[in-house]
Amino acid sequence: MSAAKKFLKAREMSSFFFLLALFLIVGAINPKFLTGTNISACFNTSVVYTLVAVGMAFAIFIGEIDVSVGSNLGFVATVVGSLLRDGANWGFAFTVGILIGLIIGIINGWGVAVMKVPSLIFTLGTNGILRGMMYIYAGGAWVENLPKEFKDFSSVTLVGSFTVYYCCAVLLVVIIHALLTRTRRGRYFIAVGDNAGGAELVGIPSVQTKVAAYMICGVLSAVAGIIFCSRIGFVTSASGNGYEMKAVAACVLGGISLSGGVGTVIGAAIGAVIMASISYLLVFMGFSSNYDNAITGIILITIVVADALMQRRATVRNRHARLAARTMSAEEAKEAAK
Amino acid sequence: MKSLKKRPAFSWNMFLVLLLVMEFVIFGSKNAKFLRPALLLNSANDFLSICIISVFVTFVMITGGIDIQVASIVGLTSITIGVAWQDFGFSIWQAVALAVVIAALCGALSGFFIAYCGVQAMVVTLGGSFLYSGLALLVSTLSSTESYQGISGFPEEFKWITKYKVFGVIPFQIVIFLVLAVLAYLLLHRTKYGRKIFLVGVNQQAAEYSGINSRWVIMSTYILSAVSAAVTGVILTSYLGTAKSDLGSGLTMNIITAVVLGGTLSTGGKGSILGTALAAIAIGLLRFGMPLCFKVNTQYLDIPIGVLLVVVVVGRSLASNPAVIAKVAKWRSGMKKDKAAAQ
Repeated sequence: MSAAKKFLKAREMSSFFFLLALFLIVGAINPKFLTGTNISACFNTSVVYTLVAVGMAFAIFIGEIDVSVGSNLGFVATVVGSLLRDGANWGFAFTVGILIGLIIGIINGWGVAVMKVPSLIFTLGTNGILRGMMYIYAGGAWVENLPKEFKDFSSVTLVGSFTVYYCCAVLLVVIIHALLTRTRRGRYFIAVGDNAGGAELVGIPSVQTKVAAYMICGVLSAVAGIIFCSRIGFVTSASGNGYEMKAVAACVLGGISLSGGVGTVIGAAIGAVIMASISYLLVFMGFSSNYDNAITGIILITIVVADALMQRRATVRNRHARLAARTMSAEEAKEAAK
Repeated sequence: MKSLKKRPAFSWNMFLVLLLVMEFVIFGSKNAKFLRPALLLNSANDFLSICIISVFVTFVMITGGIDIQVASIVGLTSITIGVAWQDFGFSIWQAVALAVVIAALCGALSGFFIAYCGVQAMVVTLGGSFLYSGLALLVSTLSSTESYQGISGFPEEFKWITKYKVFGVIPFQIVIFLVLAVLAYLLLHRTKYGRKIFLVGVNQQAAEYSGINSRWVIMSTYILSAVSAAVTGVILTSYLGTAKSDLGSGLTMNIITAVVLGGTLSTGGKGSILGTALAAIAIGLLRFGMPLCFKVNTQYLDIPIGVLLVVVVVGRSLASNPAVIAKVAKWRSGMKKDKAAAQ
C-alpha cells in the first residue's frame, strides 16, 4: 500500500472527514460560521478535552479505562487555583499540580495492573475519593480571584487566532504520536492492549506498561486541570464532573476501540474537537444548547454502531475468503479473489 | 460439589451482614438517634433509589455488561410524568404508564445495539446516558414551567404512593422495594430465565450453541434495568412532589458500587440479588449514618464510599491471589507447628 493510500485509510481519517463535513454542513446552513475566528474558537475551546482525551486514550490503548480523570482534573484545578490565589510561584504551583496527577496515576496503575482489580471499578472508587478530597480542600467554596495574568494567558494567541495552549497541545499530541508509533517502548502500549498474554510472552513488561499508561493519563489530566483553571478563571466543587465520559466519547469518535490495542492519539484529539464544537455548532444551526446532550448521544451511538456493523461485515467476508481458500484449488481461489 | 459451589457466595453475604451489623453498632453507639426505628425507616426514602436500581443492574452485570444510563432514565421518567400530566392533559396514572413504556423503549434500544449489533455495553450506555438526559431536557422545554423550577402540584393519590405507611410505620416505598427484590430473586435464582442469564454471562457462545437465544436474554436485562429506573423515577417524583429532568443524576457511582460490593463479577457469570440488596442497604446506611453521627458533610460522602469500594475490591483480589493464599497457609501451618512444639 502506498503511503498516501495508507494515510487516507487510517481510522482517524474518517473522524477527520466527519469533522470537516460537520463544519461544511454548518457552513452551508449558516455561512456566517465559516470565518477564521469561529473555526479557531472550536479548536481553542477543545484544549482541555484534547488533553484529557489523549490521557484517556492511553488507558484505553492498554484495554482498560480511567473514569477518575474528571475528578483528577477538578482536584488539580482546585489545588493549583488556590495556590496561585494565595500568591504562590507559578512554577511551584504547576509542579505540585503535575505531581498530584502523577501520584493519582501511580495509585490507579497499582490498583489495576498490580492488584488486578477491574479498572472501571477501581477508578470509580478513586474518582469518589478525589471528588471528596476536592470538597475538603476547598471547604466547599469556589476558588476565585485568580491572578489576572494567569487568566489572561489563556487568550494569548500564537499562530493566527490559535491560542498558545492549543498550539502546545497540538505539539504535544504530535510528539506523543511519534513516540507511540516510532519507538520501541511506545509500541508496547498498543501491544499490551491488543494481546496482553502474547505481549508478556514476547518479553514486554505488561505490568510496567500499564502503570506507565495510567501515569501518563494522570499527568495529562493534571495539565488539563491547570489549563481549565486558567481558561475558566474559577473552580467550583463540581468542576471536571462528567469529563471522564466526554473523554471516552472523544476517544470513541476518534476511532479508538474500547477493547484496546487499536487507535491513535491523533484520533483522540480530533474526537475531542468534535465533542467540544458540538455545542458551538448548534448555536450556528439555530438550535438551543438544550439539544447538546441529545445530539452528542445520537452521534456517539451512531458512530459506534456503524463501526461495529462494518467490522462484522469485514469478519464475515474474511471468513468466506478463508473458507474459499480451503475448499477451492489455488487457481479457483485466485479467480475468486479477483 | 454443591457445598463447594455455594460456600463462597454464602461467606461473602455473611461479610455484608457483618458490615451492616458493624454500621449499626458504630453509628448506634455514637448517636442513639440512629437506632430509632421511625427515623431509620424514614431515612430509607433517601437511598431506596440506589437499592431498587442496583438490584436490577445486577442482571445486566451478570451477563457481562454494564449499565450507566439508568441515572438519566430516572430523570427522563420524572419529567415525562410531569409534562404529560400538566401540559398534555393525561391523567396522572396514564402519565406514569407512558413514562414507564418510554423508559422500557429506551432500555430496549440500548439493549438492541448491545446484543444484536455487538457494540460494547459501556459505550452504548454512555451514549445512552447523554441521549436520554438530553431527551429529558428537551421534554422539559415542552412544558410551560421553567425547567429549573420543576413541575409540582401533583394530585394527592399520586403522592399517596410515598406518603402511605404500612401499619403506620413502614413507608410504602420500602414495601415496593422488598416486593421487587423478592421478584428479582425469584426471577434470577429460581427460574429458567435466570439460569440463562448466568450461562450467557459465563460463556455467550456456549449458551448460543445450547439453544439459548442469548441476544434476546441480553437485551431483556437492559429493559429490566430501565424499567426499574422508571419505577424509581415514579417513586422519587412522588416523594419529592416535583418532576425534574436531572433527577437521579449522580446515582451511577452508588449503583455500580452497590452491585460490585454485592459480589457480582464485573466480567459476568457471577452475582446474587441478596448480595446486591445487602450492599445497597449498607451503602445507604453509610450515607445516612455518617452525617448524623459524625457530622460529615453530605458532599464528602463520596470519600467513604470510594474507600469502601477500593478496599473491598483490592482485598478480594488479594484474597484470590495464589501467592497470598500460599503465604497465609504457610503462616497457619507455622502457627500449628509452634503450638505443637509448645505442647
